[in-house]
Amino acid sequence: MRLGFNFTLGDTYDMVQRLIAERHIDYCEFLIDNFFCVEPDELAKAFDCPIGLHIMYSKFLEADRPTLVDFAARLRDYIDALNPIYVSDHILHFTHEERAFFHLGEVDYSREYEFVRDKVLEWQELVGQRIHFENYLSIMDGGVEAPAFFERLMKETGAGVLFDASNAVCSNRNCGTPFEAWRNVIASARHFHVAGYRNSLIEPFISLDTHAEALAPDTLAFLEDFRSVFDKPGATMTYERDDQIEFDDVVADLKLLRNLFGESEEKRHDLAISA
Amino acid sequence: MTLLSLPSRTDRDLYPALMSPQLCAKYPADHKAFVRIDVSLRVYWHTLFDICPELLELSGPDGMSIFRPFMAWAGEKKLAFDWSYYLWVYVWLRESPFKDRLLADGKYLRSIMGASAARWAVLDRGRNCGLVIGCADSTDFVVGWKCRSVRFGREIELIAPEEPLPAPPDIFGYFTLPTFELDIFPGWQSLAR
Repeated sequence: MRLGFNFTLGDTYDMVQRLIAERHIDYCEFLIDNFFCVEPDELAKAFDCPIGLHIMYSKFLEADRPTLVDFAARLRDYIDALNPIYVSDHILHFTHEERAFFHLGEVDYSREYEFVRDKVLEWQELVGQRIHFENYLSIMDGGVEAPAFFERLMKETGAGVLFDASNAVCSNRNCGTPFEAWRNVIASARHFHVAGYRNSLIEPFISLDTHAEALAPDTLAFLEDFRSVFDKPGATMTYERDDQIEFDDVVADLKLLRNLFGESEEKRHDLAISA
Repeated sequence: MTLLSLPSRTDRDLYPALMSPQLCAKYPADHKAFVRIDVSLRVYWHTLFDICPELLELSGPDGMSIFRPFMAWAGEKKLAFDWSYYLWVYVWLRESPFKDRLLADGKYLRSIMGASAARWAVLDRGRNCGLVIGCADSTDFVVGWKCRSVRFGREIELIAPEEPLPAPPDIFGYFTLPTFELDIFPGWQSLAR
């Protein structure tokens, strides 16, 4: 399992360089559409490690085709320059009746499957490659339909799943989605996310994917229980931290993940050569 | 937990309430749907008051005397809640009992214009590099720049021009910049709702 860190803005540039230099991470994940005004060549030279590209605001379920064509063309420039390990995106609603959510909306997995499938096919065709779509943190009970939705989506579109382990933990806590229901999705997925979460401020508590806390014990237990399903050649796991970003705290969590999964195959190869 | 007569199986059932304190009040407080809606509404609250804490001086520490009526007004006008979110708060404040205190100190306007420029720089995915916001209540204007280097973030500039630009026809106006140079004035565009 290769470990990575999410790079969303320049504030953490020096920290990411240090994480790479000290071999705490094996790759870096750009939140790529934050950098659409930075030259692709500059991004390609930014870090001496493999790169993943994560998209936040394509809004491919809602945007009109000319907007998506333009977004895809710009994304393509970065794909060509950075040769990423993967490209990933979100299946989410950003608006309702053209009014923006500030806390994004989960799709209705049973009622919107065909709509999402067709949009996924169109979006992959425009970008010109397979895209890995992240599972969302479910809160309401309809979230239990997410695993079957993603399984079917992979089968019918050729898309991948960027499986967010801590989102699955929150969904389990919020609406009881069994971890076992995700087994086939995890087995098919090569790219993963993990992060901390916290409870809502009021009861009945729901768990929220905040990217601001240490990894929770139940997240680590989930990873350990399914370790052999997660870990496979070429697999990546991005540790996401978007707030309360302290180097020592990040490294502490990365060490837990490294201890759990061991050195990546690629890194073992590097060490064997240098020895 | 109280039994709920409103649909709440999925997030989608709650979409209209996710941006409406009035609709939130229709859900029992001990139901997960209420908490889900509360989580959403808190993000609107924090997006406003964490970025423009000066506004709490007007409203009091919980912000609710601004937040609740503004959100109701925004719902009636079907505001898009795009980057101009903060500017519409200012438009509402100008029509509210807070008007005199708002206009007595330019810090509120500076904070609001800076917040909206920053939100554009964060959220816009078009090809433009910068956004200029002007206001009929000031000759200063604010520029928001997107991230232009991997080492830096977005930048916000407050500019007091030697020769003022013409005032926008509405309370606010804006124009976009196709490069990282502030070298054009194509005229003010009105805010879209």
